[in-house]
Amino acid sequence: MFDSIETVQRNLGEQGYICGKNIATVVYLAHRLEKPVLVEGPAGVGKTELAKVVAEATGRPLIRLQCYEGLDEAKALYEWEYSKQLLYTQILKEKFSEAMAGAKTLREAAERIGAEDSIFFSDRFIVPRPLLRAITSPSPALLLVDEVDKSDPEFEAFLLEVLSDFQVTVPEVGTFSAKVRPLVFLTSNDAREMTDALKRRCLHLYIDFPTEEEELRILDVKVPGVDRRLAEDLVGVMQRLRKLDLKKTPSISETIDWARALLALNAAQIDEALVRETLNVILKYEGDIRKAHSELGRLIVRKAEAPPKPAAPAPSAATPASGEATPGAQPVGPAAPAPPKKGTLH
Amino acid sequence: MQKKIVEFTNLLRKSGVRVSVAEAIDAFRALDELSLDDREIFRDAMRSAMVKRSDDIATYDQLFDLFWSGFYDNLRGAFEGMNDELAAQGIDLDQLMRMLQEQLESLEPGSLDLSDLARALLTADLSQLEKLIREAGEQAGIARIENLLQIGFFSRRMMERMNAEGAAQELRDLAARLRAQGLSDDQAEAIRGLADRLLEALRRSVRNFAERELQKQNYDYMERFRRETLTEKSFYHLTEDEIRQMREVVARLAQRIKNVLSIRRRRMQKGKLDLHTTLRRNMARGGVPFEVTFKHRKKDRPKLVILCDVSSSVANVSRFMLQFVYSLQEAFTRIRSFVFVSELGEVTQVFRDHDINDAIEKALDGGDVINVYTRSNFGQAFHGFWQNHLSAVDKRTTVLVLGDARNNYNDPRAWCLREVKNKAKNLVWLNPESPGAWGFGDSVMDRYLPACDVAEECRNLRQLAKVVDRLVL
Ligand SMILES: Nc1ncnc2c1ncn2[C@@H]1O[C@H](COP(=O)(O)OP(=O)(O)OP(=O)(O)O)[C@@H](O)[C@H]1O
Ligand SMILES: [Mg+2]
Repeated sequence: MFDSIETVQRNLGEQGYICGKNIATVVYLAHRLEKPVLVEGPAGVGKTELAKVVAEATGRPLIRLQCYEGLDEAKALYEWEYSKQLLYTQILKEKFSEAMAGAKTLREAAERIGAEDSIFFSDRFIVPRPLLRAITSPSPALLLVDEVDKSDPEFEAFLLEVLSDFQVTVPEVGTFSAKVRPLVFLTSNDAREMTDALKRRCLHLYIDFPTEEEELRILDVKVPGVDRRLAEDLVGVMQRLRKLDLKKTPSISETIDWARALLALNAAQIDEALVRETLNVILKYEGDIRKAHSELGRLIVRKAEAPPKPAAPAPSAATPASGEATPGAQPVGPAAPAPPKKGTLH
Repeated sequence: MQKKIVEFTNLLRKSGVRVSVAEAIDAFRALDELSLDDREIFRDAMRSAMVKRSDDIATYDQLFDLFWSGFYDNLRGAFEGMNDELAAQGIDLDQLMRMLQEQLESLEPGSLDLSDLARALLTADLSQLEKLIREAGEQAGIARIENLLQIGFFSRRMMERMNAEGAAQELRDLAARLRAQGLSDDQAEAIRGLADRLLEALRRSVRNFAERELQKQNYDYMERFRRETLTEKSFYHLTEDEIRQMREVVARLAQRIKNVLSIRRRRMQKGKLDLHTTLRRNMARGGVPFEVTFKHRKKDRPKLVILCDVSSSVANVSRFMLQFVYSLQEAFTRIRSFVFVSELGEVTQVFRDHDINDAIEKALDGGDVINVYTRSNFGQAFHGFWQNHLSAVDKRTTVLVLGDARNNYNDPRAWCLREVKNKAKNLVWLNPESPGAWGFGDSVMDRYLPACDVAEECRNLRQLAKVVDRLVL
């Protein structure tokens, strides 16, 4: 199923997840080495989605543990089902009375009940939470520990234990250990740096914003109705927007949202007016929107209008051909001798 | 390879990327799961195991390029020995540096204000030098380099961008100033000399960098070109140079086959679950199968007997075939090799005593056992084999014959070969001539054909690789 990097890439593609070789390589290795993966990267680049599609592609049940501040062991692992215990006590009231009949003191009664403890603290009354479910899952599962950076350090330490041997002990009941280790994906937005200990246990995957070509393919898959030319222009704007210094850089989800919005508006092509009106779909902060407004002219470069590039940089062209000075490119000084032409001498 | 990875890990650590031992081991394990000929995958796999902080990724990528491009090695080569050389002259560079610092700063605070380059040169800080050279390369637009004639131009320009001459001057000034502070003439002279040598080493490294960059720019193209032409090129008419290049290509092909083999072997080894052993082993764990045991399937590796014509007309085919087979020794239970022109001699031992390339050259010379300056006589050779070495063949043996079957009108004695075939698992003949020529002139290939299970034309590397592939996979 996941027997090579190419198949990983293809299988994920079939689930509508477009990824480069780097992502496929790490997923493949996680699968082969049975190691958890810590996925990091900016918001909305598809970290959570990756875990979901891997689950789908491998046919593993997806078990998701959403982390947040204050998440504790009980909520992640298991809880006693008090109401059920209570219900049972009610139903078994008579039996209790029988058991307690003849107890002379309160203490003796309590001791007799205590002797029956095990009835109430057995797996009958355990509500398994994601971690326990992943460990006891009859078929190999995919455990997604989402936004692990939101959890508290104490919880991280606990998580570390679980991840190292996939075994948990419930004091009153016994030890559960995974028959087959689940595949584990942890995602993080870098709200807090994870400890080295946790990182050592995991393979690391950094997902960056997609390349222009990948983003186009994602649009193709996610918003199939959108016109090719429009998609190209739109992705172009997104890619250039990401180069601005924004408070929140728009991500893949924003690209998708924007494409859907433009589709709904029946937009035929991207121009300044349209971008200005719909910018609030992609940018959430007033400051960011203002910044984008001031850069509008530069953001929109439609394919058709783009100044024709010289077909191939001629070997003898020591100075850039046109005046289109791209920032960052080092213009070659006029004094510099032109590098000899290919093939003129031999 | 292992050593190189360890070295790379150290480089990462030195540059502030924390890599634990466990993580380095993970990297090895990861690489084990992959074929290493895709550089990007190689890079990403190692990165996922060793680099856990997003901030370190850029550093890692840079170091990866540096290190695995081989430029770092070269840089080290150029600057290594500088220390020793100075030590030989009675100068301890470290101590000298400390002394410089103290003296200068005590007299004119902050006056030891060296440029980055001068400082990197003086302290032989290779990582820093590498970074500076790289930056200079970028500024000089090195990515546009296209042919050999531009190397000088770009090297010079890079030296300018780095202000290499300025850095050398700084060092010379330093010497002068120290002289004024009471350093002995000899020592000041030594520092001046050092400046020159550092500059020279830098110049060489920069040049090397430009050359590599050119290689990088042309890599794809050259590689493809070389493979295409060489793999299709007939084994007859090879120049010395081509033989050398082809040897590399063969080595690479063999390595690829080896990778496939080892992956396959690992899969094979897994075999079926051994229920009994698994249960027994896991009794202590209440029968929960923690350690799973597999029945090991035995892979039945062929025995190989090679009969190699080493007369000059086919020497090249023999050469590469032998290289292939011996590069893949592990794939066979046993290899015995024989060479012949007219008489036949065993060279198995030669391959035990020497490394592959030496052994091959020796075998082509007749391995001290046969005379190679006679005319080919296949009949006599096969007869010799039948008479003296038939016991080398059993029903697990594949016999590989390599020759053009040009028998100089001698008696082919095909019956000898038939007897060999009958005892062997199979008999494969590789003939560098095309089937159209078989049986014409003094070729007796047609007479031998009935004794062959497979007879193939093998005139170039592509055909040879195909045969070897089939032999081992
Ligand atoms: N490579 C991809 N191919 C297809 N769709 C993608 C890809 N990456 C992201 N998406 C889409 O982008 C959206 C956002 O992805 P996701 O929620 O996984 O991001 P995230 O990285 O988990 O973000 P956050 O950090 O905010 O949790 C999803 O709707 C998903 O479908
Ligand atoms: Mg998410």
